[in-house]
Amino acid sequence: MRGKFALVTKIIFLGITTAILALLTESAFAQKQYVIGSFILIAALALNLVYFTSISVPFKFFLPGILFFIAFVIAPIFFTAQMSGYKYQTGNYLDKKAALEQVINLGAQPDSQGTTFDLTAGKNSANEYAILVSDITNDKYFISTQNKRVEVPKALAKFDANGVAIEAPDFKAISANVLATNDAYSKIHYMYEGKYYIAVQTQNSGGVFRQELSYSADTGVLTNTVTGATYVDNHRGNFAKVGTPSEILSPGWRAPVWFENYSRLVTDKKVRTPLVRVFIWTFSFALLSVLTTFALGLLLAIALNRKMRGRRVYRSILILPYAMPSVMSILIWAGMFDSDFGAVNSILHSHFHWFQNPSLARGIVLLVNLWLGFPYFYLICSGSLQAIPAELSEAAAIDGANPRQVFRKITLPLLLQILSPLLIASFAFNFNNFNIIYLLTGGGPTQTLNGEIAGATDILISYTYKIAFGSQSFQDFGLASAISVIIFLLVASISMYGLRRSKVMETFE
Amino acid sequence: MKKKNLGLVGTLIAAALAVSTLVAPSASAANEIVVWADETRGPHLAKLIAAKGDWVPGFTVKIVTFSSYAALGDALDKATGTSGPDIFVGGNDWVVASAKSGKLAPVTLTASQKAQFTPGQLYDLSYGGKLYGVPLDINNVGMIYNTALVKSAPKTFGDMVDFYQANKTKLNLKNGLCVTGGGMSWGGLSVFSALGADPYVLTSRGKVDVNKGFNPTTFGANMKKYLIDPSTHKSNGFWASSNTTCNDDFYAGKVPYSIIGNWEWATYVAKGFAMNLQPVPGVNGGYGHMFGSVSGAFLTSYADKHGVAVGAKSLLVNLFASTPGQVAYEAIEGRPPAAKGAQADAGVSEAQKGFGAAASLAGIPQIGAILDNKAGGSNYWDSSGDYWTQTLINGKDATTEARKLAKIWRANVSAAASLL
Repeated sequence: MRGKFALVTKIIFLGITTAILALLTESAFAQKQYVIGSFILIAALALNLVYFTSISVPFKFFLPGILFFIAFVIAPIFFTAQMSGYKYQTGNYLDKKAALEQVINLGAQPDSQGTTFDLTAGKNSANEYAILVSDITNDKYFISTQNKRVEVPKALAKFDANGVAIEAPDFKAISANVLATNDAYSKIHYMYEGKYYIAVQTQNSGGVFRQELSYSADTGVLTNTVTGATYVDNHRGNFAKVGTPSEILSPGWRAPVWFENYSRLVTDKKVRTPLVRVFIWTFSFALLSVLTTFALGLLLAIALNRKMRGRRVYRSILILPYAMPSVMSILIWAGMFDSDFGAVNSILHSHFHWFQNPSLARGIVLLVNLWLGFPYFYLICSGSLQAIPAELSEAAAIDGANPRQVFRKITLPLLLQILSPLLIASFAFNFNNFNIIYLLTGGGPTQTLNGEIAGATDILISYTYKIAFGSQSFQDFGLASAISVIIFLLVASISMYGLRRSKVMETFE
Repeated sequence: MKKKNLGLVGTLIAAALAVSTLVAPSASAANEIVVWADETRGPHLAKLIAAKGDWVPGFTVKIVTFSSYAALGDALDKATGTSGPDIFVGGNDWVVASAKSGKLAPVTLTASQKAQFTPGQLYDLSYGGKLYGVPLDINNVGMIYNTALVKSAPKTFGDMVDFYQANKTKLNLKNGLCVTGGGMSWGGLSVFSALGADPYVLTSRGKVDVNKGFNPTTFGANMKKYLIDPSTHKSNGFWASSNTTCNDDFYAGKVPYSIIGNWEWATYVAKGFAMNLQPVPGVNGGYGHMFGSVSGAFLTSYADKHGVAVGAKSLLVNLFASTPGQVAYEAIEGRPPAAKGAQADAGVSEAQKGFGAAASLAGIPQIGAILDNKAGGSNYWDSSGDYWTQTLINGKDATTEARKLAKIWRANVSAAASLL
């Protein structure tokens, strides 16, 4: 009975999962996201294969984790590394094919007067799409198709209340409802004069245009047929004017620039100067955060490690900052230091702008991070202290060691051996502690009048965010990706070094 | 694998595929125009479309509302050919980046349609000589004064400062002037300009004079005369150095003058304040400039891919740019309409007209190519905010900082010259 229930549950669960994954696969392929679609399809097949067969029992446990690991760890790292080699910024979002299509579309220039006409769309007797054009200013009317233009004597046309021709010989109007379901007629260049054509704009108007940019697929050259100027691929994601390479056509496309984004970190002063400052502060912030939170957590753990009245209450209170969502805590702290209505100024009867002074703002960031972080270290230090055999301290005391010596020579070294991986993990976490910076100071203060680009409290990850998403007017995903890769390598290297030094990995060997 | 299991797997996958096909979301209908808007405009547009849906014969209109203006911006950043809208409604500051990135498609208006708008309004929505949307409503600010405190409209900036200095203790004033509409950079331009600093100088023909910038010595002297306390070298309290509590302070009668946005007038009217709107007066009479920009309805390049480009352009013209469309929409939205016909319509309130009048007195175009430019090391938005901070809060010399500001703004104008 139990086996049948489990089987039915498995079939239902896997059926739903497969259906959802099939839906996502279909959607991904429909949006031409072939890599994502293929991955989801393979994941769906793998899930069914593993759970409906006995092909590999360990995989029944590992597969979900492996799939999530690939989707949410490996793929983003790979994508970020890939994008760091591209010019991928405002103006260079599209692929080359789409960009070229738009550049050519934008090469359609209206005539110098910006002439527009009222028109009625329909077909002629040869079943060709045609427009009945009303040049009301000049009292002229004509029917245009892609290849010819036929004048219509006014007497032969019928007009609506606004004087727009709606009927003429050899022309049958098509209703708006029909035209709405098929836009083929709007893609046609209807004949006008010389190189000028009429392009349908709205349901009842069109404009006179001339295609001024022509593209040769053989040579890859765009030519302005009016000025004779030529534009070639500058291999940096844009068509650039020959002879004046700074003159480029928009939009551009994502183009590989290999290691240029990385070299900019060193060679471009506007990037390098803030980056060095931000890096120093990031390292200091992460290190000081770990040291202060660990020190306070340990101090409290030692204090509460001995029996005392109300110890449980104290312990519960100390865990409270950890129990509260950090987002709420940070926003409350930000409010407390607000210059206008903050509690701190209110208590001090001052009107100090706490976040406008770089040193004070950094101090507040460290203080708030201490508040958020010490309960974690208090908890793990408490647990670790209880794990250290009391006999060691007792033996040392019998040998004449005072409590301070016991702590320095026995307790602390043992604690550090136990907690090293957690201290390293805490350093890595704080190195990328985006929330506290973004919510508390927004990276500021930034003295832009003195040429500062990054704020005084910006850490690498918040600075990267500003580069990638911080401005509506300009975003540079390529450069942000390069910095992200550097952050990844730094944190990974530091973590690996720390773990090797602490010899914690030996446990798994 | 056992044959039984294989059959089971095959059956299950087939069933799952069949189910997923049934529940797969259908793509937009061929004749559906999708419009994206933020949390205030979206519901208003939806209400408008619900009342009258036949703005474009043969097409239906679907309004997609985002939780905030920022969320709308994020969605537009991530939009692709399949997921993007056909039209979106937003500020003109999105034009440059969106057009450069190929997200927008040009719009061609007839002469009569163009005549409904000022050249400046059309310029606001243009990039590289092409128009990418239609002006929907005016974004500007206006200064009001609390008639319970101040009996007559100020003629000069000095009138306001004098009133504040004479009455701050007696009336328990917190500040003299603050800005609730658009923050210290966008809304605060009025004060910069009233004291002599403009991010760009316009010629008499309304074009940007790329060879001119503001005079930092004059501006710095005005700062010291009107806004800086000579003893502390920081703010004298007249101009609030931040706008976090401005609304409440003005409501409470602790600030006599306030620069408010044209989207928030109804709240002030509801609280009993008169809409005695005017631009911020200059130090020698005249007025400080304000951004008299427009919000627009923009045509995206996705509309063509969706096969609704003609329908979308028709919706722009029939609804968003038309007098009946703007009157109907602004009756719900409450901003001053951009079209001349709509501005003159009897259905538009006096407050809306008041903002329109203030814009025509002192409005300047909001030129994103200059204001967003960082060639000088910082854009207008960041550098202007930092100027207030450094002088009013940190007590740095107003003239020295003004020179830095002038240098940044000049460099930004020069860098943007080729795009103007």
